[in-house]
Amino acid sequence: MSDDSTVFIVDDEIAIREALDSLFRSAGMRAISFGSVLEFLASERPDVPACLVLDVRLPGINGLDFFDQMNELGIQMPVVFITAHGDVPMSVRAMRAGAINFIIKPFPDHVLLDAVQAAFARDRLRRASLVAADSLKRRFESLTMRERQILWLVVAGQLNKQIAAHLGLSEITVKVHRAQMMRKMQATSLIDLVRKADILSRNPADLTVH
Amino acid sequence: MMAGARGLRYRASQNWHYPIPMQPVQPSWFATRSSLRPVIAAMVAAAIFIADTLTDLEIAIAALYVTVILLSVSFAQRRGVLLIGSICIALTVVSYALTRSGEPLSGGINCLISLTAIAATTYLVLRIEAARVAVYEARAQLAHVARVTTLGELTASIAHEVNQPLTAVVTNGNAALRWLASVPPNAAEAIPAINRIVKEANRASQIIDRIRLLARRAPPAPSRFNVNDTVLATLPLIQNQIDRYGISLGTQLDTSLPNIRCDEIQLQQVLLNLLVNAVESLAKVEPGTRELRLRTARSVDNVIVAVEDNGTGLSAELDRLFDAFYTTKSEGLGMGLAIARSIIEAHSGRIWAETRRPQGAIMQFSLPIPAEPSHSSSRD
Repeated sequence: MSDDSTVFIVDDEIAIREALDSLFRSAGMRAISFGSVLEFLASERPDVPACLVLDVRLPGINGLDFFDQMNELGIQMPVVFITAHGDVPMSVRAMRAGAINFIIKPFPDHVLLDAVQAAFARDRLRRASLVAADSLKRRFESLTMRERQILWLVVAGQLNKQIAAHLGLSEITVKVHRAQMMRKMQATSLIDLVRKADILSRNPADLTVH
Repeated sequence: MMAGARGLRYRASQNWHYPIPMQPVQPSWFATRSSLRPVIAAMVAAAIFIADTLTDLEIAIAALYVTVILLSVSFAQRRGVLLIGSICIALTVVSYALTRSGEPLSGGINCLISLTAIAATTYLVLRIEAARVAVYEARAQLAHVARVTTLGELTASIAHEVNQPLTAVVTNGNAALRWLASVPPNAAEAIPAINRIVKEANRASQIIDRIRLLARRAPPAPSRFNVNDTVLATLPLIQNQIDRYGISLGTQLDTSLPNIRCDEIQLQQVLLNLLVNAVESLAKVEPGTRELRLRTARSVDNVIVAVEDNGTGLSAELDRLFDAFYTTKSEGLGMGLAIARSIIEAHSGRIWAETRRPQGAIMQFSLPIPAEPSHSSSRD
């Protein structure tokens, strides 16, 4: 693999950590391992596509409980669980919470490697959409208040004439603002603008008009 | 115990049970069976027969045959009791025919009453015996269930212990194959991976050895040894748990202890049980405050071993703690301490529990020091 995607391993057993580390490196992946969740949290994590290989039974906090808290802690990476004593309720809980896979030890190497690859793919996608949403947000922020008003009215399906009446402007002025807004948003068509507005509204940031 | 090997890891939520063969529970009436009883019964029957034949028809001596039937349960099985009941009935009829004196009508009625009494007694006695057999079977089944469950739990524990090194072996093996399959083969990475395989495979086999030793179903083999050695040999078995929960462990061993005489493996089981209970209790309290103390001491002619923890402590029912099937754990069977007590008492010792102030529990057992003291450092 050519990119710098990294596997983070959290397992309290040193023998398992060493083995996993060697396995991931032999498959051409970067791996960093930790003996506990606290060690993982305290570490400096590079901002790259990542996957967390998490043991369920850990000292201190249990892997499943930590998974539930990851969102609040602002850790977004996909998780692959590995455990020596998994049962059905545990795996259901993990998969429902959005884990990539729940793997019982010992496992065939390709099961784990495939899961990690899938995790990387998901994380890359997430990061890409994050970047897209971010640039979209910056474009939106470059709009004037008037242009923002017009954007939401256009997206709401109003015609220039209606928008003009609504805002108490002339139709010509609306057209000028609208063209400016379309240019700043790099929207190629009305459909494209609607799609972009949809992405924006899904990222609850400052979308205020006033 | 293997020095340097990683300790066993027990499932924290589980009670720890030992596969100790249980004594079959014998119903009480088997125990009182004696070869004299059939003779006594026959003599009683003969006496009743003679008396019944010699007395008037109206005197229902035959009703006394019920004593023979009641006696018969103590030595005969179901068929035997039925046979004896039939014989009694036959004897009643025969002596009715042989009796010369008395009024035949009222005598006949009395004879019928006697026969009814004999038949009813036989029936009831058989019913009672059937109920006793059912109770005996239920107890035997319960003992069997307990054994099987214990075995099941032990298996789960072994499976887990062996799974960890096995996972490391499989993963390292796969990694080594990949390193060797790369072009050019990467021996610098493959060799450490293979070394780790050897190390982990040895670890697995040590775990198996240790569990085999624990689960050995050998009869108790008393030997002379020092309790301190047993304590030191048992601690590695639970060290991993102690580390896992960040428990601070203190040992205070009286080095002047004389040797005692008992089955060391069984003693180890008792000690391990107390330690596992203490760790489980400590796991429920605030991390960082968990303390486990192990003490050995001499008290007159006893050796005392005490396991002290500042965990959640004991519930109020201290006296029931050692009863079989009494448990405060959601997944426990309530067998651990009952077995511990049976082991200690089999060695003429005593085991007891105390509540520790301000919190926690102290579990102690004492074992008698044999009459002729032997050197504390030697074993035979």
